[in-house]
Amino acid sequence: MANGWSLLISVLFIVVFCAVAWFASPKGENQTVWRSTLVLSAWACWLMWAITFLAQWHPLISPQRADLRPEYVNGPVKSQGAVF
Amino acid sequence: MAASKDSLFRSVDMTLTQLYVANEIGREVVSALGELGAMQFRDLNPDTSAFQRTFTQEIRRLDNVERQLNYFRTQIEKNGIGMRPIYEFSNTLAAPTATEIDELADRSQSLELRIQSLNDSYETLKRRETELTEWRWVLREAGGFFDRARGQTEEIRQSIEEADDAPLLRDVEQANGSTEAGSGIQQSFSVMNIGFVAGVIPRERMGAFERILWRTLRGNLYMNQSEIPDPIIDPEKNEEVHKNVFVIFAHGKEIIAKIRKISESLGAEIYDVDENSELRRDQIHEVNSRLQDLSNVLGNTKRTLDAELTQIGRSLAAWLIVTKKEKSVYQTLNRFSYDPARKTLVAEAWCPTNSLGLVKSTLQDVNDRAGLSVPTIVNQIKTSKTPPTYNRTNKFTLGFQTIIDAYGTAKYTEVNPGLPTIVTFPFLFAVMFGDFGHGAIMALAALAMIYWEKPLQRGKQDELFGMAFYGRYIMLMMGVFSMYTGLIYCDAFSKELSLFPSMWTWEFPDGYEPGNGMTVTAQRVEGYTYPFGMDWRWHDTENDLLFSNSYKMKLSIIMGWAHMTYSLCLSYINARHFRSPIDIFGNFIPGMIFFQSIFGYLVFTIIYKWSIDWYAIGQQPPGLLNMLIYMFLQPGTVEEELYPGQGPVQVVLVLLAVVQVPILLFLKPFYLRWEHNKARAQGYRGIGETTTVSALDQDDDDEEGGQQANGRPSFADSEMDGGAMITQDIGGGGGGEEHEEFEFSEVMIHQVIHTIEFCLNCVSHTASYLRLWALSLAHQQLSIVLWTMTLGNAFGFTGALGVAAVFVFFVVWFFLTVAVLVVMEGTSAMLHSLRLHWVEAMSKHFVGEGVAFEPFSFKVLLEEEGEGLM
Repeated sequence: MANGWSLLISVLFIVVFCAVAWFASPKGENQTVWRSTLVLSAWACWLMWAITFLAQWHPLISPQRADLRPEYVNGPVKSQGAVF
Repeated sequence: MAASKDSLFRSVDMTLTQLYVANEIGREVVSALGELGAMQFRDLNPDTSAFQRTFTQEIRRLDNVERQLNYFRTQIEKNGIGMRPIYEFSNTLAAPTATEIDELADRSQSLELRIQSLNDSYETLKRRETELTEWRWVLREAGGFFDRARGQTEEIRQSIEEADDAPLLRDVEQANGSTEAGSGIQQSFSVMNIGFVAGVIPRERMGAFERILWRTLRGNLYMNQSEIPDPIIDPEKNEEVHKNVFVIFAHGKEIIAKIRKISESLGAEIYDVDENSELRRDQIHEVNSRLQDLSNVLGNTKRTLDAELTQIGRSLAAWLIVTKKEKSVYQTLNRFSYDPARKTLVAEAWCPTNSLGLVKSTLQDVNDRAGLSVPTIVNQIKTSKTPPTYNRTNKFTLGFQTIIDAYGTAKYTEVNPGLPTIVTFPFLFAVMFGDFGHGAIMALAALAMIYWEKPLQRGKQDELFGMAFYGRYIMLMMGVFSMYTGLIYCDAFSKELSLFPSMWTWEFPDGYEPGNGMTVTAQRVEGYTYPFGMDWRWHDTENDLLFSNSYKMKLSIIMGWAHMTYSLCLSYINARHFRSPIDIFGNFIPGMIFFQSIFGYLVFTIIYKWSIDWYAIGQQPPGLLNMLIYMFLQPGTVEEELYPGQGPVQVVLVLLAVVQVPILLFLKPFYLRWEHNKARAQGYRGIGETTTVSALDQDDDDEEGGQQANGRPSFADSEMDGGAMITQDIGGGGGGEEHEEFEFSEVMIHQVIHTIEFCLNCVSHTASYLRLWALSLAHQQLSIVLWTMTLGNAFGFTGALGVAAVFVFFVVWFFLTVAVLVVMEGTSAMLHSLRLHWVEAMSKHFVGEGVAFEPFSFKVLLEEEGEGLM
């Protein structure tokens, strides 16, 4: 689903978002605030996402655990029967 | 200068205006401008003391009215009467006319007298009532003593006959002789020559009273006392006092007089009591009827007083505001200078250029209303003074702007860091506070405060809540960004969020049992990377910290680099705006190259290392920390190669960085010296050396070319466009404050400091951003610990106990989550984010040293002073 192309696509997406935000910001005295806030937010969020993505793109270590019960192999499974 | 659109990006354009106001409408004009709140009046009579000014008399009168109104307010509060809150007045902002003010002054004068007389008579009546009540008690209690004492006279007499040492009645016996003593019960005290004193005394003084009496009279007294069960109200202090009734029998006039003196000096009240029981009964009746009458009168007085105060309370808030406004109008008028020849008031005021139209139309309105033929003239004057800095904020941006203003006022029209702070401040906060759940709590709290904004604003707020309320929009942004970073960190109350299929699958080795010492290692799903945020499979793993530490450390460095690069770019915009190319070539460009060739390169290597699949190409991934250190220690040699040709690239980068240092050091000072010398050679002199012309003189003497004469392209000078200049010597400390002599050594020292600071700060500030990593790690670990110690344990129980445990532990967990993780950790993350902005980011571009714009505005005035009314 996600691979190296995601980076490029996400940049394009952010650029489009910024363009829309720039032109669609409400006119008036708060236009600058709208533009700056939307564009900066978009890039800050993108940067955070991109860093996280890159860090996991070619991971150098894999998760290890010694307490995993085989029935939980698929993550937090739905409980069967007992509530507690 | 063409009026451009005001925005938060830089402070708005200001103009120094000169107003010529006809004397008759001075008050109305200032009042209207106060409503507008767009002008900051300069003091044109700085040498005149407060007592010599024109409108001192008016201000004194209003002070008196204010004092009277405050007296009403304390009376209203004392009597527990509600005051109509200011919000219920529809026209609080309407300017009062002069007659209204006069009426108000007269009215409050007469009301004060009335309230005072009512209060006086109420207090007198109350005192009388207390006295009567005390007297009634004395009569009641003393009666009992008399009856008992009379019954005992016989015994007393006998005891004297038997034992000759009874001190009290020895004299009695001697005086009356033993023959008369037999007349028994009916014998009165007066016959026995025994006098008495009856009264009340505060209970806590009783012991001292007894002791003093005993010592001074040497035991020649017989004392009876009893406690009054009900507390007596002291009318002066309005406190309850417990008192005792006492009756003292003693022998001889002098002794009685002495007792009276002692009791009075100890604060006792002495009342007349008749020893005859019938007379006493009459007295009690009389006292009772008088008490009855008195309480009627008291009730009436109290009702009148309350009615009067309620009446006042209905409009008191408005009166107070009117008085405050009026007073500030006269204080402002005192700053004007009076031109007696033309019978006009002259004022100088800073005004946002874009508000000039509004000001003019307001003045026109005032003029029309007054029906005056002489118009109010508004002149724009050019000046060399630095205008005050004014950023127009709204309720959303106000909090963020306050963050910046708390550090320092920006220079006039420099880039205002408040604008990017709207995003960067909450975002850096969120990097440290990243947890979806905690962010949601914060965002919801902020939303609640925004939704109930009006009622909360009117209510009383304590300090902590007041602060949170003031920053509610900051909190909202912080909460929203924290939810986002929480999703990225894949944390919601320390638990994972499995939004997408994981990129890891568990493959259990043979013979694996949980806890038998074997570890399961996850296998990567081929060609798939977790699309959003951290993979949830990292949660609860053994090497979770190993991975997230490396990730968060690099994240902090990249975030810091991005933030600082952004801030450094703002200094370029500043230099462009102030038309100071030397700041671009001497500061911005070398600084940027220095920063990028070291830390920009570090960020590049981080990303490069991430994007290479090291196992696929069969290489050992190199350590970046060592690479950066050896880049400076052994330029050119690379032990573990990151990419081919790394050695030469790093040598070039190091050289590039090193070369920037002398450029930073010398370019700007030497350029400035050259420019200065050139200007001098052309015969220009500093503006301070020219004759000064008062702004009050109408002839706009032009001194074309006078500006820029000192040749120093300081930011403020280059801002002035040509035309007439007036150096003002009125107000303030003259006009020459920003035209100090060019001094090469000073410029050089300044630049040396700047260079050293910049280069060292590049290193230390980048390291400083590692706090993002440290705090986010601490936050995550703390929330994991909290979960496992409370709710995590609760799930171990079964049955009814389990239900109870989950409930109890949930309460504990939730309370601690809010108190510790959201409030405490949130405050700490906020302070760190604050520091990153003030120190790390703003040091890259912020000039500061501006003067804040403080307009004459009723709104601001009432916010500051009318707190009790709101």
